[in-house]
Amino acid sequence: MDDGKHDLQYALFIHLNLGVAMEQYLEQISQAVVKGDQNATIELVQAAVDAQVDANTIMQKGLIPAMSDVGRLYEQGEYFVPEMLISARAMKAGLEIIKPLLAGSDLKPAGTVAVGTVKGDLHDIGKNLVGIMLEGAGFSVHDLGTDVSPEQFIEAIRTNQVDLIGMSALLTTTMPMMETTTNAITRAGLRNQVKIIIGGAPITQAYADKIGADGFAPDASQAVKLAINLVNQR
Amino acid sequence: MHRQDTLQDWWEIELQGMPHFDMAMKRVYAWFENEIIDRPPVRFMAHNAFLERASEDIAHFSPAEKKNWWFDTELQVDLFVKSIAGRQFHGETFPVYFPNLGPDVYAAFYDTELEFGEITSYSVPFIQQWEDADQLVLDQNNQYFQKIEELTRHAIERCEGQFMVGYTDLHPGLDCVAAWRDPLQLCYDLYDNPDQVRRLADLAIADFEYIYNHFDTMLKEKGQLSVSWMGIPSFGRMHIPSCDFSALISQEFFEQFGLPILQCESKTMTHNIFHIDGKGVAKHLEAILSVPEIHALQWVQGVGDDYPIMQWISFIKDLQARDIPVIVDLSTEDIDDFMDAMDPKGLFLWLATENELEEIEILKRIERWT
Repeated sequence: MDDGKHDLQYALFIHLNLGVAMEQYLEQISQAVVKGDQNATIELVQAAVDAQVDANTIMQKGLIPAMSDVGRLYEQGEYFVPEMLISARAMKAGLEIIKPLLAGSDLKPAGTVAVGTVKGDLHDIGKNLVGIMLEGAGFSVHDLGTDVSPEQFIEAIRTNQVDLIGMSALLTTTMPMMETTTNAITRAGLRNQVKIIIGGAPITQAYADKIGADGFAPDASQAVKLAINLVNQR
Repeated sequence: MHRQDTLQDWWEIELQGMPHFDMAMKRVYAWFENEIIDRPPVRFMAHNAFLERASEDIAHFSPAEKKNWWFDTELQVDLFVKSIAGRQFHGETFPVYFPNLGPDVYAAFYDTELEFGEITSYSVPFIQQWEDADQLVLDQNNQYFQKIEELTRHAIERCEGQFMVGYTDLHPGLDCVAAWRDPLQLCYDLYDNPDQVRRLADLAIADFEYIYNHFDTMLKEKGQLSVSWMGIPSFGRMHIPSCDFSALISQEFFEQFGLPILQCESKTMTHNIFHIDGKGVAKHLEAILSVPEIHALQWVQGVGDDYPIMQWISFIKDLQARDIPVIVDLSTEDIDDFMDAMDPKGLFLWLATENELEEIEILKRIERWT
């Protein structure tokens, strides 16, 4: 009986300490990502993996919440684009370590997204930033580049099982191409398969409503929130 | 305020469509001094109007054809001349042609490449490895430098009595570095390689005065004023400092990397109008205004949710309270509300209008604005 009691106490001791250790790892990983410290993120994720912390837990409770914090800091004006970028890079580096461990699990990406700047427009900063932040939120992202024709968006939907299309335009002269692309997707019979979000300097919610897009985001951080909401509705 | 030229330095300009040129210039100079003669200056013009009209024609062009279109000296000046044919220029709408190969042309003077779209061009990032930066040298024989010279010369030959010729849109400093490196890569560099950023920023301002003087001399030798894409002339040295890249970065980074360049590029000018391209750049306002040579601001509220102007009234009033002349972009629908809300002091209004009758009618309303 005594032995059994000791075993239980020992198991409880291990459980509590591992739990505490796990919480500490996750907190430290999260802090490293928020600081954009890539090296620290790699070391901490590796240490957590070595300590048998579940890879999915590292991602769901360490890496992804950190990027949510980064998005919040950006919206609050405490972070700017460079800070978002280095955080997203740290997050991605951490993700690379746990990816092989996640491969065997049933874990799927948060969604599959194709992003592109519409035909006639070669601006790519906003589009790239949205792609990076979506990856940081666990999405699988296909970057179609700039000057993307409606046909290329349609091809991406067909070949990549895309849940969501993200279109960007910086010019008032190229924003009508968003409507052209949306209509082309509808004509191709694919509109019910994908959600469409749009963004860029001249874009408004009213314009998104007018062309029948599913949403508009004024910045990369809010594009991630919108994408999560829309993909979860599916 | 560093206005070094005086009324004695003025010379005569005759423009068919602008018989009131002298009075218009007096209003502009009063505005530079944050004063009003009879009404605030007003400019009627859509931005890139003639380029936007041409954009549909070239939308189907291949990249090479687009470049040829931009490089067609005669065509480019022709398009401008046709756009002003028979027009009367009301208010302070100066008919100005400026040679234009897009905002990254300054970066391309260092033998980097531009890719041409319909209404603007885009820089092809050149620096993949830091050693690539060693190749960046100002090259006056470079195709872009030569083309800007050629456009300038050709326009000067054709401008007599019809229009003024200005200098191209010059973006030294961090915008130039972003063009060489790629804007997002530069964001990483600010953390990863700040010394390299500083080195590139130094290079991106090193030849500015030489380049500015080169085109200024070309123009002044032919009796032209100092004017560029803003269409606001000066008999002295007018410059439009800007740093669009700064919209992406914190105040700390701007003060560290952008401000020294602004101090440098503005110091030899008589009139500096800083182009604030939206709220992202406006967050650096205090740093920008810490440079005493910054004479005035152009506030671009932008499009999308940043439009219309009425949401920025308190921002503009704050600038007025600080005696800073400011250009304000208005839509014609907003004029009445704007005039009701604002005092005209220190304002320079820009309006996109449909026709001359509308312009005359708007001027009458603005003349009654006190």
